[in-house]
Amino acid sequence: MSTPLQMVELRDVHMRFEEKKVLDGVSLKVEPRERLVIMGQSGGGKSTILRLILGTLRPDSGSIFFKQFEITRLSRRKLQRVRRHIGMVFQYSALLSSRNVRDNVALPLEELTDKSGSEIDKIVDEKLELVGMGDSKELLPEELSGGMRKRVALARALVLDPELLLLDEPSAGLDPVIASVIDELIISLSEKSKVTSITATHEMDSAFRIATRMAMLYQGTIIEEAKPEEFKHSKNPVVAQFVSGSTEGPILEGSLDAITKK
Amino acid sequence: MPNAEPPPVVIAEGIGHITRYFLREVGSVFWFVVNTFEETLERIQRGRLPFRAASFFRHTERVGVDSVPLVGLVSFFLGLTMALLTGYQLQRFGTERLIPGLVAIAFTRELGPLLTGIMIAARIGAAFTAELGTMQVSEEVEAIEAMGIGPLRFLVAPRMLALVLLMPCLSTVSNIAAIFASSLVCKAFFSIAFPYFLDLVKDSLLIRDIITGILKSFLFGLLIAAIACYRGLTVKGGAAGVGTSTTSSVVSAITAVIGFDTLYNIVYTTFYPT
Repeated sequence: MSTPLQMVELRDVHMRFEEKKVLDGVSLKVEPRERLVIMGQSGGGKSTILRLILGTLRPDSGSIFFKQFEITRLSRRKLQRVRRHIGMVFQYSALLSSRNVRDNVALPLEELTDKSGSEIDKIVDEKLELVGMGDSKELLPEELSGGMRKRVALARALVLDPELLLLDEPSAGLDPVIASVIDELIISLSEKSKVTSITATHEMDSAFRIATRMAMLYQGTIIEEAKPEEFKHSKNPVVAQFVSGSTEGPILEGSLDAITKK
Repeated sequence: MPNAEPPPVVIAEGIGHITRYFLREVGSVFWFVVNTFEETLERIQRGRLPFRAASFFRHTERVGVDSVPLVGLVSFFLGLTMALLTGYQLQRFGTERLIPGLVAIAFTRELGPLLTGIMIAARIGAAFTAELGTMQVSEEVEAIEAMGIGPLRFLVAPRMLALVLLMPCLSTVSNIAAIFASSLVCKAFFSIAFPYFLDLVKDSLLIRDIITGILKSFLFGLLIAAIACYRGLTVKGGAAGVGTSTTSSVVSAITAVIGFDTLYNIVYTTFYPT
């Protein structure tokens, strides 16, 4: 049973990759128009959560809902239809290297809609302008910098006007100005176009700028969910250490001791 | 002192593991083809083209047109050699007029499709695996999936169709090149003029030889495409993984082509003995 009020819901999701337990009973709810930021250590399972919502990974147990659809139970055909309402920006952009910027952004429109060439061009131009990449249409991904690729990936994710936007480290490796531009864009999308977004990041500045709510993923579970202000002053030692970026605290305790002893 | 010889149980276990792995791979490739068909048909049922014509023709050009020189040249040389070697043996019995028929039947029925299959597995199979494998490790395939586009329909179907349709054409090129080469040898060494050569070829070739060859080519095309694309989309482990999968793709495709050729011949000669 799911309530259609939620945009996304994860219920007691478990996931392991071979021997490594990545998610150990994650439960999470995302309301429409919310901007949830999932924080956690690198390799801690943030990207896995996004992939599970998208259905490109299947959990070992637990259920995942997108609106009224239970992602974990959908057939391949239905899953493909549902995915058209979700836009995903991958950590390394994942642009198709053999296609130029224009063709990358146009791909979902060409493949999934009946729009004419001129309509597609218009939408592509509009989305590329939105991310400030209007003059790079003919370039190939290999000719773009990391930040430019990420912006093109964002334009591609937005091209079908998704209801849900999943962003995997959107500002990692970008200069602070471009990172802010992308953050502002995510905020304006949720305010103007009612897009719900889930962002996985460990960039604290970006996280606090975007989030309307934050969740901390630690050792496979969500240990704290709160509004950014409350999160900033959390009493949980793990959250406090993560927010401050301090070496003192429970995160990496054993490993840090080993490093200092060396 | 440790026993140098492995006990029989270990050997049996090893054989079991290899057999299980082999059967699992065969099953996976089979379902891979079935899923590709299914995804493509679903799209057609919705009244849409399964993939863009431009994408299909790009692959046909690479698979077909660009492979003609290689297939033609290798078959030409093999035709020359075959005509020469058999010619000198047959000449001893005064039966060198059998050369045209021998080369024509051998190539149309057996060597044309087989040679083409081996060359295409190495040339195109490797390219498909490397290409799809690189897309897989750079998350491009996942991105396509994330957009709601079926990667099998979008990436595999045009490649598979191009290879299946172009293999018979390339086999025909191979047959013609080899027969032409043997006609040169016949003219130069065994005094068989071109018109007589052609008559001898026409007399000995049966329609069923040609059909057998064509059917085999379709099958080999499907096999090579399925193995190459499957290996590409299941790459794991970055650049090294792409390399390993490409090697494995070529080896498996060539082995599969030769294996299926043998199987085909056994079935064919059992049910339709000459």
